[in-house]
Amino acid sequence: MTETKTARLLAFALAATLISAGCARRDMSNEFFGQLEPPPGQTLRYISGSEPESLDPHMSSGQPEARLDIALYEGLVEYHPKTMEPIPGVAERWEIDEDATEYVFFLRGNAKFSNGDPITAHDFVYSFRRGLKPELASRVAYMAYELKYAEAYNTHGAFVRDPKTGRFLPASETPKPAEGGGEAGAQPQPASPAPHDEESLHRSELGKKGEDAAPDTEFHRFIHTPERLVVPADEKDRAKALKADPKLAALVEGKEFVPVRAEDIGVEAVDDRTLRLTLRQPAPYFLGLIQHQFFRVIHGPTVERFGVNWTKPGNIVSSGSHMLAEHKPYNQLVVVKNPHYWDAPNVRLETIYFYPLEDNTTMMNLYKAGEVDAVYNHTVPASWLKSGVRHVKDYMDAPENVSEFYVMNTRKAPMNDVRVRKAFNMAVDKQALADWRVVVKPSYSLVPGIFLKYPRPKGDGFDPERAKQLLAEAGYKGADGKFDPKKFPTSEVEINYNTNESNRQIAEFIQAQWKQNLGITVALRNTEWKTYLPMRSKLEYKGFARAGWVGDYMDPYTYLNLYTTKEGGDNGTGWYDPKYVAKLNEANREPNEERRMALLAEAEKMLLEVQPVLPLVIPATSWMKKPYVKGLYPNPQTLHAWKFVYIEHDRSKWDQRMPDMSTADLAELGR
Amino acid sequence: MFRFIVRRLIVTVPMVLIVISLTWALIRLAPGNFYEGEKKLPASIEKNIRAKYGLDQPMYVQYGRVMGNILRLDFGNSLRYENETVNDILKRTVPVSAVIGFCAYTLALVVGITFGTLAALKQNSKLDYASMGLAMLGISMPNFVLGPILVLVFSLSLYWLPPARWGGFPSWNILLPVITLSAVYMAYIARLTRAGMLEVLRSDYIRTARAKGLTERQVVMRHALRGGLLPVVSFTGPALAILITGTVVVERIFALPGLGNYFINANLNRDEPLILGIVAFASILVLIFNLLVDIAYGFIDPRIRY
Repeated sequence: MTETKTARLLAFALAATLISAGCARRDMSNEFFGQLEPPPGQTLRYISGSEPESLDPHMSSGQPEARLDIALYEGLVEYHPKTMEPIPGVAERWEIDEDATEYVFFLRGNAKFSNGDPITAHDFVYSFRRGLKPELASRVAYMAYELKYAEAYNTHGAFVRDPKTGRFLPASETPKPAEGGGEAGAQPQPASPAPHDEESLHRSELGKKGEDAAPDTEFHRFIHTPERLVVPADEKDRAKALKADPKLAALVEGKEFVPVRAEDIGVEAVDDRTLRLTLRQPAPYFLGLIQHQFFRVIHGPTVERFGVNWTKPGNIVSSGSHMLAEHKPYNQLVVVKNPHYWDAPNVRLETIYFYPLEDNTTMMNLYKAGEVDAVYNHTVPASWLKSGVRHVKDYMDAPENVSEFYVMNTRKAPMNDVRVRKAFNMAVDKQALADWRVVVKPSYSLVPGIFLKYPRPKGDGFDPERAKQLLAEAGYKGADGKFDPKKFPTSEVEINYNTNESNRQIAEFIQAQWKQNLGITVALRNTEWKTYLPMRSKLEYKGFARAGWVGDYMDPYTYLNLYTTKEGGDNGTGWYDPKYVAKLNEANREPNEERRMALLAEAEKMLLEVQPVLPLVIPATSWMKKPYVKGLYPNPQTLHAWKFVYIEHDRSKWDQRMPDMSTADLAELGR
Repeated sequence: MFRFIVRRLIVTVPMVLIVISLTWALIRLAPGNFYEGEKKLPASIEKNIRAKYGLDQPMYVQYGRVMGNILRLDFGNSLRYENETVNDILKRTVPVSAVIGFCAYTLALVVGITFGTLAALKQNSKLDYASMGLAMLGISMPNFVLGPILVLVFSLSLYWLPPARWGGFPSWNILLPVITLSAVYMAYIARLTRAGMLEVLRSDYIRTARAKGLTERQVVMRHALRGGLLPVVSFTGPALAILITGTVVVERIFALPGLGNYFINANLNRDEPLILGIVAFASILVLIFNLLVDIAYGFIDPRIRY
């Protein structure tokens, strides 16, 4: 008897708990999610993602660090809070020469570090050279390889000099005569940063000087001499490279090798307020690239004095709108307004608390309880979305600079047949996938539709009948000439993904689609991330492999560039077409933006025609901010320039929906 | 007794070295490395990194360096958080985990022993059934279920307590994680105490004590508890070591900057020095607490002598 009573008591306790949980859920039908009490004054509490690896902008690559670095450091250009386009930062204006190989930046006179030291062009020269130092071993140094000789310096390269004449050997053995005088078209060049391959060794660039925005200097003349030949400085590496290339070996026989120095990189301080950057090849997307933390300016004397500890509180000197006040790893990182910042009168946030957190439920708990004011993207757990969070007014839903797709191993049968690849693509209903995944938009091409000026190619839609027809054409047919799933070598394909609950669910969804639409059951295979990457890169998989790409900068090229490497790298498909690469290079030499975008789109069309990738979805931002947080927008990369953010204490001015993303109210930010 | 302790301590050193060596080998056997993230790195960059961290040297040199560091108790800098030494990280995180762990441990002991004893004394009463029923629930409910339920009730519905984050000690923030963490131990201790006490209460020497005319209080406190707590002691020694070295789940749910959180991430990041440092620390702690348990046995149980 007593036992049943106890059981009843327990059941009651459990029920009470669940009911109160249910009450919590019901709150979600409110207009906003959880508590709405703004913190006093101009204080923001923001969840920034995992604990930052390093506060040294040269030593981190991720978004969590980028979010902090934007507060701590400023670069030549800054992110537009809505469109992510480059807007003036330390540079108040800039000029680009016609073929986009030379960028001249004019720095503002009142830019200062957090200790009051002025920021000059020399500081940028120091920063760029330091980031590229091979001994620093920065993981993101490759981002700066566009600078002339940056790669050569970062990879321990050496110039080749003739001891008799003292002349340096140019990269091209026989420089081709310039066509039609001074303005010479550069040779088609590979866009890949693959170091020391045959192409880059023989890469040629003709001596030329555009109409310069800054005075000519000795360095300027040097950097515009024909590109020099670079070979490995290390004897063992050089011997290997020369062995592989007898022609090169003959050429450098009896020559001296002069290691490439930091001073040889195409970075020049013409004067205190003029910085000139010279690139190895045309790069119209370069401004978008240098928004990255790697290119933000750091304070040389501090770095030299404290070494690896220079970013610790007390040591650090920074250049951004805010400066470091406290750093408790895995707990909080506090920045306060930098009084020396050039735009300080317009910076409103006095203090920002960054909380490094990884668990989504914990984040949303804190958000709901009103202990944080905003969170980063993809932080709302799926179950919360389904229970209505998607409809509250503080939910941010906008497309991102990310693409999710499957790659196919085009070197292994049956996926080496373009008809098979196309068929599998057409047999996935991406709209259904997007509806089921909730926070994504369906995708039929590689590049996401966030670039307003890019004429995005359409790609194949959902068409299971055509898919079956294509498979029949590829030879998988019965006696009646119709597609027969039994003829398809199912054991030769599988869906590979890195171990992750959501990846598994997506793979299962697609597996079901193919079963339903083609009658083919493809096996699933999961691998841990660190093993998965090399497997995909070396094409050690059969069939399909999950892939995703987060744009490095705001330009379609960041996606299209994935398929410009023949072996290894991020390609993962085995597909390589010199014509595709040539088309991209042509686009990158095109000064007219509209025409350039059209050329890029043509390249993507070429790619989609052979279908080495199977586009799936474009993720949406999916994050939350309290209505009193203003100036924080659901932009495509969820990177925020904190100088624009503030807390609105007047309830009548609070956001009543997702902020308007048109740029009319920020017109003065454009150039 | 003294010789026993010295002998055990001497054995500890090779034990820890073996654990470290195995861990090191496992890290090296596991695919992937600390520097490769989402994107494949260009070969040149990888080369720079391998040179900087001495990964291009022969394996025995690298192993020798690791062992040398361990013997000097200096694990070097973390690979992931470059400007932090492993010792700094341990110094900062161990107190957080230890505070939560000790509080949970104390709570578990006090509540567990009290209710376990009462349940044993009043066997088959309502109190016995209620506390043992709750204990059963505590054992069978994993902390990743209990934690969120507590948060849901006390933080998100009643808005009484903060749902997460470290607020120093003492602060309201530690209440929920401590309860979450102690629940299972509390339940185990209650059941172990009850079982141990029931056995002891039936034994001859308790009957003798009662026959001597001692009060019930004296019987329980002076005689029964000593024997009845033996199973609890052997359970709580290693349990304390686990509690102090951080409990991953609770630290994650409540976003606490403790050792457990670091340990998980160190493994995911293949942060070798940090993994080795934490493993060394944890194994030393487990060995020491086991030793303490053995010593405590000697005091509690007159039948055991070293």
